[in-house]
Formats: sequence, structure tokens, C-alpha cells
Amino acid sequence: MTVIAAATAASTLAACGGSDDGGGDGGGGGGDASANEASDIGITEDSIKLGAHFPLTGVAAPGYSEIPTGAQAYFDCLNNEGGVNGRTIEYIYRDDAYNPTNTSQVVNQLVLEDEVFAIVGGLGTPTHSAVLDFLNSEGVPDLFVSSGSLLWGDDPETNPYTFGWQTDYESEGKIIGDYIAENFPDAQVGLFLQDDDFGEDGEAGIREYIDDQIVAAERYTPGNTNVGPQIAALQAAGADFVVGFNVPSYTALSQLTALQLGYDPQWFYSNVGSDPTLVGSLLNNFSQGQVSDASLLDGALTTDYLPTVDEPDNPWVQEFQRIWDECGGDGELTNYRIYGMSQAYTTVQALQAAGQNPTRDGLVEAIEIAGGDWEGPVLAPFRYSEDSHMGTSGMSISRVTGDTTEEVVPVQLTDIGDAEIEPFDGEMAEVPENGIPNEESVID
Amino acid sequence: MQYFVNVTLTGLTEGMVYSAFALALVLIWRSTRIVNFAQGSMAAATTFIALALIQAGQSYWVALIVALLSGLLLGAIVERVVIRRVEGGPELNAVIVTLGLFVAIQAAIAIVFGSAFQSFPTPFGLEGFQVGDNRIALTPNSVWVIAAVLVTMALLVVLFRFTRIGLAMRASAFGQEVARLLGVRVGRMLTLGWALAAVVGSLAGLLIAGGEFVYPAYMDSLIVFGFVAAVLGGLDSPIGAIVGGLILGLALSYVSGYVERGSALVNVAALVILMVVLLVRPGGLFASSTARRA
Repeated sequence: MTVIAAATAASTLAACGGSDDGGGDGGGGGGDASANEASDIGITEDSIKLGAHFPLTGVAAPGYSEIPTGAQAYFDCLNNEGGVNGRTIEYIYRDDAYNPTNTSQVVNQLVLEDEVFAIVGGLGTPTHSAVLDFLNSEGVPDLFVSSGSLLWGDDPETNPYTFGWQTDYESEGKIIGDYIAENFPDAQVGLFLQDDDFGEDGEAGIREYIDDQIVAAERYTPGNTNVGPQIAALQAAGADFVVGFNVPSYTALSQLTALQLGYDPQWFYSNVGSDPTLVGSLLNNFSQGQVSDASLLDGALTTDYLPTVDEPDNPWVQEFQRIWDECGGDGELTNYRIYGMSQAYTTVQALQAAGQNPTRDGLVEAIEIAGGDWEGPVLAPFRYSEDSHMGTSGMSISRVTGDTTEEVVPVQLTDIGDAEIEPFDGEMAEVPENGIPNEESVID
Repeated sequence: MQYFVNVTLTGLTEGMVYSAFALALVLIWRSTRIVNFAQGSMAAATTFIALALIQAGQSYWVALIVALLSGLLLGAIVERVVIRRVEGGPELNAVIVTLGLFVAIQAAIAIVFGSAFQSFPTPFGLEGFQVGDNRIALTPNSVWVIAAVLVTMALLVVLFRFTRIGLAMRASAFGQEVARLLGVRVGRMLTLGWALAAVVGSLAGLLIAGGEFVYPAYMDSLIVFGFVAAVLGGLDSPIGAIVGGLILGLALSYVSGYVERGSALVNVAALVILMVVLLVRPGGLFASSTARRA
């Protein structure tokens, strides 16, 4: 019985000083602002309405609830610079508490009542699965789902309007498995998995490389906070290297339980569950200092596909810091906010590519044509094409030291199935002025 | 072998937590004949008060006492202001009102304290005891939980069995008219029953929270398990609540530890256990009366 929190965070942006001085103002794409038309649902002459669903309350809220605040800050700063082709972005995100029933309800509301142009960054595999058919049958662009499930991108014929964004869990599992095979060939590997697509995809990827090294695979169900039997089973199986495909609160729980059992393997948490700052803040109240902040995670390995807050020299992080300081709300810039901003950045690239007067179908076409070439904060290129709606394809591996991380293996690329793993030879993209991309329209 | 010991100890500690919550339910049932669904969010409310104090720099023990006192107050207020209006009517009315309270209090917590996940400190360590070369899944904190629950149970047994006030509370719950004719001040007894139950609930809330994460809905799953434990034990008996909680905790831990994908089956297993016990002993394991209603 979860309270259906009325915490609906809708942000309505007052039309901020409409800058209709010829779309050049950071808008990119060229064209004449006077030609702006209400070209589709959710588009007016001077605004674009986007919607999203996130867990702002409940078990998945820690961390994830910060993502839309990052996106909001990015769009606010973008609007101050004139928006996209003279249109400001109106971003509406609603709370689904990571409950698929709620997701259906809030997405219905976004599409039918708020009449958004597109859904952007809806979070969660079980949650977003609940609205996948609805969005595709209504023809609503469903961009950049905040989840690494294969569902969003491997079958564009069935789901033509849906696009993935982050590295999928199977590719991540492959990169992790390959790393273990090369660097820890004698390790006895245990898997700590969320009992759904997230854990399954990750396990499939990792087993492609180290099936014979795996001595145990334990699964937890989100919501059941007692992971004692699972961690004890990994210990009993003699695993000295544990890979976790789990959400952040379960990173904290697994660490606490391991502490209780005196179990000290080498930990490798997949990107989703590894944010050291968040896990540290979850752990720091315990035992009044007996468990000190992130030190439990010290030495743990993890993966990255975005720059992180502990790289203050990274130009993207510096730009996101500026955006957060100028347009953000309370609190610090976090990795989750960087995630939200990066997703918003890709969204703006898509809107620019869709031309002066975007339509829903045009937006999808633009991503398929141009998306594979886009550069931005994401470390590796996207795989967007007519045949694949999968997001970025690569990851680096890093080690947690104190509150920060250091890179162990640079970015490598792969794909689902039996694609090879290769090093990425590209450069980090340059930050454009004001952190606003400048893509050409690819739609006539 | 070590695995079995650890799974058992994990189950034992979890079971004690269910017991603590079941005790509060038993208490309110014995003193008012109402099943209080709001118990969980009332306990969550006092836990958040304690957390606020701890974060303001107070010690755990000060926070514990304040939480228990605010539980006492909250229980009395809820009874006087809300439940009193529906007492004496159909029993279902009162139960439905507690369901409404459950949701309302939880929403109030979210408004006052926010809905973020926060860790809740414990007064004792979270590292297991060392036995030989192995560390076992029994921590100083679990010992504190077990001791606190057992002492509370003993106090409740004494209260109901050996004191006049306990007798008066039971009388008021069983037959208001008769009790009133015999000179028992029924209204006060009902208020006292709610207040005491809320104190035990607050204690349970704090014990559950220690070394775990709290958020406004953190008691939700425990409400279910607490109810199952209380019903297993017969809803009437403090000892039954403890035994019910332990059986449930152990059984669920074994399911989670020994059944393939057991973690997902825990909730189903709780239902199966409940059904089996109720089929075999409809009154629960420790039922004292056969004439249970509601």
C-alpha cells in the first residue's frame, strides 16, 4: 500500500522573454523564427512540451530522483539562451514511485492531459515496460529511456518510437566479464543480481566471457531488504570476487550484510549501483561513526559511460557545474544530475536535427539519420540507425578510492550478441558554447 | 554448516523484529478488540522524530525515550480524537478508519520529514560476533533487538496477568457494558490501551529501523509480516506473538536462502504459512478463546 504521493513535480516555465530574433540565438539549425508553427501536438510557436516519469519517492528514489532536477536545470539555462529554434522547453516530470501501475497512470496523464510532444528519459525497466506499447501505439516519441534494458532498442520494428540511451546491461556485462577474464583469471566469481531484466541481461553478458569462473549467482527481489541469505550464500560458495547488478540502496545493503558476516571479496558494482557519494551518504548514519562514509566501498570496481563529479578538470563537468550553479536548485551537482543534463543535451540535439518545425515522426527519423554521429558528454558514440535504437555502446572501468574514482581501463566499445570488444579510439568531444549543441536539421 | 547457521541467525533477528511489531498489534487487540492498521505509520512517525533528534546531535537513548513518549501521546490522541467517534459502532468501521489513518499519517511524515531514504543509527555495532575463525550473522545490535523484545513481552504478560489495571483493560475490551457496570472507567482504559500499544509500536519501529534505511513507507512490508506473526500466534497472546514472529522469520529466511530465486518467493511463503496454520488451528497457535471475532 504505497501512498500515491501527490508529489507531482510539474514545472511550468513562464514564457521567458521570447527571443524571436531569428533562430540563430544558440538555437542552431538555422531558419527563420517567423516561420515557427504549431507543427505537432505539444509544439507551439514558442514552446515545446516534454514529459517524463521518475521515482521521486520510494525504494528507487535515492539518486534517481535527482536526475530530473539536472535535466530541469539544463533546460532552464537553455531557455535563458533562447531555447531551441526560438522555442522554450517546458519540462514536466511526474512521480511514479517506481511502481508500474503508477507509471501507466502518470504517462497517460502526460500524453492525454498535458499533451506532451515526447516522453524523455522515463526511468526504470519494469516501470517503462508498462507504457512501451501505449507510447508506440499512440505514436509518441519515447526518447532515451533511463534504463539499460535491451527492450528499448533491439527491435525498432516493434517499437519504432522508443530509443535507448545509456549502455545496455548486456554490453556492460560483457565488458566486465572480459576484464575479469584478463585481470582476475583465478577469481571465483559470485553474482549479486536484481531478479529482473537488469540482472538477467547483465548475467548473460558476463557469462559470455567467464561462465566457468562463476561459482554462484544470487538474486534479490527489490523491496525485500533482507539480503542476508543471498550474501551468506555467496560467502559459502567461496566467491572471492562479487559482481553486483543492483540499484544503489542494495549496494549499501550488500555492504552492510557483508560487514556483518565478515565477508570481504573484491566488489565490482555495475554503473547503476555504484555512485560512491550516494552509497556513502546512505551508510554514514550507521553506528554513529563505526561505519564511516564511503570507506566500505573503497577499492570496489565500477563502470562509467559519462564523466563524473569527481573529475573537476573535465570540461563537461565544469560546464555542468556552471549550469547547476546558475540554473539548478538546492543541493550539489551529483552524478545523477550530470546524467539528467547529459540526457537533456542529447534531447536538444534530437530536437535541432528534427528541424525548424518538428513533428513526432520527423523527430524519430532525425535520430535514426543523425544520432549515430552526435558527440557530447557521453563517452562513446550512440548506435542509432534505422536498424538499431540502442544507445551508447561503450564503457570505461574505474576503481573507487575514498570519495572519488580513478580510471583502470579506458573506454571500450561493444554491442549485444557476439560483437567483439574493442578499444574506443575517438577523442572526448569539445564543449560547445553555453553547453548547447548546434546540430544541423536533417529533415527537409 | 556455517551457511545454515548464518541463514538461521538472520531469520532469528528478522523474526524478532516481526515479533516486536506483532506485540503492539496484540496489545491493541487485547485492550480494544480493534486491529490497528495505522500502527505501522504511527511507529514510522515516532521513528522519524527520533531520527530528527539524533541528527540534531542528541544521543540514541534520548531519542529513544522521546520517541516512546511521543508514541504514548500519539496513541492517546488518535484514540480520543479519531477512534472514539467510531467506537461502539460496527467493528468494521473502526478498522477502516485505522486504514485511513495509516495513509494519512504516512503522507504527513512525507510532508514534514521528506521522503528521502535515510540510514538510521544503532547504539550497538553491526559487525557479527567472532566464533572461532568465522564471523556469524549475530551482531551486538541483534542482541539488543532480541533483549528489548523479550523484556517488552515479559512486561506485557505481567501487566495483563498480574495487575488490576491490566484486568480492567481486558474487561473493557471484552464487554464495555459489563465493565462499566462493575465500575471500570472504560473510556480511560481504551485510551490507555491505545497509548500503551503505540509505545510498544514505537519501540518496534525503532528496533526495526536500527541499521536499516527509513523512509515514510518503510514499515509497509513489516505491517504485513507483523500481522501474519500476530495471527499465527493467535492475536491474543504476547508469547504467541513472539513465537509467531520467530516461526515466520526463520521460515522466510530458509525460503530465501534455500529455494531457487527464494528472495522473490518470500511474500508468497508468508501467505502459505498463514493459510496452513489457520487451516490447522483456526484460532492461531496460542489462541486462548475460541470465540474470536472480527
